[in-house]
Amino acid sequence: MIASVVATLEEDGGHVQHVADEFADEPSVEIGDVGHDARRVPITIDSPAPNALEEVTRRLQDCRGVAFVDVVFVHFDDESENNAAAHAGKMNHS
Amino acid sequence: MNGELEPTAEAIQRRQFIKATAMAAATAVAGGTNFTLPVLADEPAAGVQWEKAPCRFCGTGCHVQVGVQEGKVVAVAGDRNAEVNKGLLCVKGYHVGSALYGKDRLTRPLLRDGDRYREISWEEAIKTIADRIEAAPERFAFYGSGQWTIPEGYAAQKFMKGGLSNNHIDPNARLCMASAVTGFLATYGVDEPAGCYDDLDECDVLIMWGNNPAEMHPVLFSRVIDRRSRGEKVTLIDIGTRRTRTTDACQHYLEMKGHGDLAIANGIAHLLIKNGTYDRRFVESFCNFKASDDENPNLHGKAISFDDYRKSLEPYTPEHVEELSGVPADQIRMLGDLFGNPKLKITSLWCMGMNQHTRGTAVNSLVHGVHLLSGHFGTPGNAPTSLTGQPSACGTVREVGTLAHALPGGRVVANDEHRHQSEEFWNVPTGRINAIPGYHTVKMWESFCTPTDKGGDIGTIWVQVTNPGQTLPNLNKLFNPKGDSKAGLEDKFLIVSDVYPTATTRLADLILPSAMWVEKNGVVGNSERRTQQWFKMVDPPGDARDDCWQTIAVAHELFNRGMAGMKDRDGQFLFDVKDKNARSVPVWDWEHYYDVNVDEQLFEEYRQFSRLKHKDLAPYSEYVKARGLRWPVVEIDGQWQETHFRFSEGFDPYVEPGKEIQFYHSSTHDDRAQIWFHPWIAPAEVPDDDYPFMLCTGRVLEHWHSGSMTRRIPELSRAMPGGYLEIHAADAAAHDLRNGDKVKIESRRGSLVIPVWINGRGQPPRGTVFIPFFDETLLVNDLTLDAVDPFSKQPDYKKSAVRIRKV
Repeated sequence: MIASVVATLEEDGGHVQHVADEFADEPSVEIGDVGHDARRVPITIDSPAPNALEEVTRRLQDCRGVAFVDVVFVHFDDESENNAAAHAGKMNHS
Repeated sequence: MNGELEPTAEAIQRRQFIKATAMAAATAVAGGTNFTLPVLADEPAAGVQWEKAPCRFCGTGCHVQVGVQEGKVVAVAGDRNAEVNKGLLCVKGYHVGSALYGKDRLTRPLLRDGDRYREISWEEAIKTIADRIEAAPERFAFYGSGQWTIPEGYAAQKFMKGGLSNNHIDPNARLCMASAVTGFLATYGVDEPAGCYDDLDECDVLIMWGNNPAEMHPVLFSRVIDRRSRGEKVTLIDIGTRRTRTTDACQHYLEMKGHGDLAIANGIAHLLIKNGTYDRRFVESFCNFKASDDENPNLHGKAISFDDYRKSLEPYTPEHVEELSGVPADQIRMLGDLFGNPKLKITSLWCMGMNQHTRGTAVNSLVHGVHLLSGHFGTPGNAPTSLTGQPSACGTVREVGTLAHALPGGRVVANDEHRHQSEEFWNVPTGRINAIPGYHTVKMWESFCTPTDKGGDIGTIWVQVTNPGQTLPNLNKLFNPKGDSKAGLEDKFLIVSDVYPTATTRLADLILPSAMWVEKNGVVGNSERRTQQWFKMVDPPGDARDDCWQTIAVAHELFNRGMAGMKDRDGQFLFDVKDKNARSVPVWDWEHYYDVNVDEQLFEEYRQFSRLKHKDLAPYSEYVKARGLRWPVVEIDGQWQETHFRFSEGFDPYVEPGKEIQFYHSSTHDDRAQIWFHPWIAPAEVPDDDYPFMLCTGRVLEHWHSGSMTRRIPELSRAMPGGYLEIHAADAAAHDLRNGDKVKIESRRGSLVIPVWINGRGQPPRGTVFIPFFDETLLVNDLTLDAVDPFSKQPDYKKSAVRIRKV
């Protein structure tokens, strides 16, 4: 799955580096170019791990100086599982 | 590679292209530059066709770009051209496309046969429904939702009220926003917000009344957070019964007891008058005063004078409000000061917290009243605005009027003139529409679950696009008896159209597989009066078919059998759809359903109703071009123009020049809104020695409502796998509970064994516990109370007395 998000930073500045540091060792996460005011950071996530998107989003949300994280783009190719929810076993349709 | 195939150069190139697209889209959104995804379809490496659609989930109305390749939805992106979301999506947007592809999609009609189901043909399914209706049309009920598209809801409405002369049609929206409707009607004489999302860009103060938009309407909340990150001063105030993610972003958190909102609103009004800071000119020019008429309870109450109003508010001093609500008096004074400052622009937001309330109409009216009394109304940034949880709770339920008492266009069945208008539009004989309102949701299901010989006069219910087996309150009374062989309900018959097996299909006698979202055409209306359209992009799986087709097919089967109600005055079928050469198209035959655009024809027929109450809709073709338009949409100099702010001169085309503010549907017929006094009243059920905790229920970020779609998405299920009980750490310690321990929680109506989560997503205060309702294996509505607001008939899911013990 490939996705991109935008992290909106708190106004007091200097937080782009915190985001970059958080994901420095992770090739699946790419930090894009920030605009002149460095207030919104575009980020792509490219990982076969099924929960990578939620995990990265959660870590971003918890990252120092990040005010909010919004999703922009999702390509859910065949890597994505599409299993029925575990609870579906309650039904007896035959 | 352990036997795995090496990716081809083409696959690598494609993946790099997709990743570059993802980064380009995010960079464009972050930088505020233009970027149009459909252009990418011209790239040879893409192979993806992009089309617009509103998101399937909540009532925010975000527009997405849907990428389709080889008949399958493969990508979703926020739509940069959409004013609502400006290219952004929430975390559920990650997976809105995946929701189509759960492996247990319903694909064939299934008829109960003892303890099992057998596949049947659509022909047999349609005949089975027609048999039930033909045998006893007056015992048939239709239960829909705010997920019905406008054409689906309109077809159901016309079938029931214009065809069967039967008003037993109601939606699940009765459970989520009916009190907002009655609040608007009681105050302005017409439903739906005056303001819009633009207020979020303009306000200085945003007050959230029992509302958690950070999780439930994240894109809207992000819009405000973005303003703050740009250095704008926006004061955020959370008035709630438990701390949430919204609280974390707010400067002020006012923690109240259940029904504390009634006291808080009265406390603000008290201070505005006591301090002389109310807007005298606004009030004298544009408002009247009202109070409940206890001798003849009705939505419009009785007129009172300003002096009566002032005296009624006298007891609501900050200190008394503190006693009633639990909110410190100095915080009440802070709210009074904010509303008393005419230089500030104040927007209020609310959703389930104020609506799921046995005094929901009252508290909605009181919050409108605080805005009117203080003059914080009618200019951008000054608005009382309710949010909805479903994509077309406004467009379908409130505007098409799929409620037991309503007709399209804000009309009601009890009014002779209104019925006559509808009969004219539908070209059905005078007297076809029944003047007696049908059963509202709670009464409908209570009747269904009561044996016929004991007065249960609803024998068949057809459910479309909702899951009452999980979302009704007090399920052991209103739904579960259907599954009890000793309940004496053998003659009752439950029909469910859905896309996945649910807690409702579990007890269904007939299950119909439905198409969802971009598997069909659609038109919906969001929380800010914005009507949005999309086209079918992919085929539904198996034999799944559109809900609207299902309704028309049953109607035509009854027409074939000679049922008079399925004919208009000229003897023609009620849903006679024409092609461009004015020839009838047999749309009841699935093979021909998409020969014409049925949605467009139903929408154009419905559109004439929209002008009756100044909720004018544009022609269907205008919505094809737009990312939605906010009504009233009027044609000026050949252009269809939407309305941002209602009742305000310069914005609303129906306000007469020189009026400044004109409430042109005033219930007092004098262009004035009504400022109400309602007293504080305790919740219908409060904790006591036997049941010492207050139970609040609600939603979570990852799962949409009952989870029937989002729990099919493994990523979301992993992120939020199951239900839980939130409890304060001190209460947990007092019961020797640690995270993950299981408790038995009991109310007077049912019980549940569930794991506890201490200091989790939300943090309730001592004496309160919270359980989300998304998990169908842990049905919290076995516990909830079915007491309803006297006017809206909406139940209170937020305040049920319970007890807990470790198991």
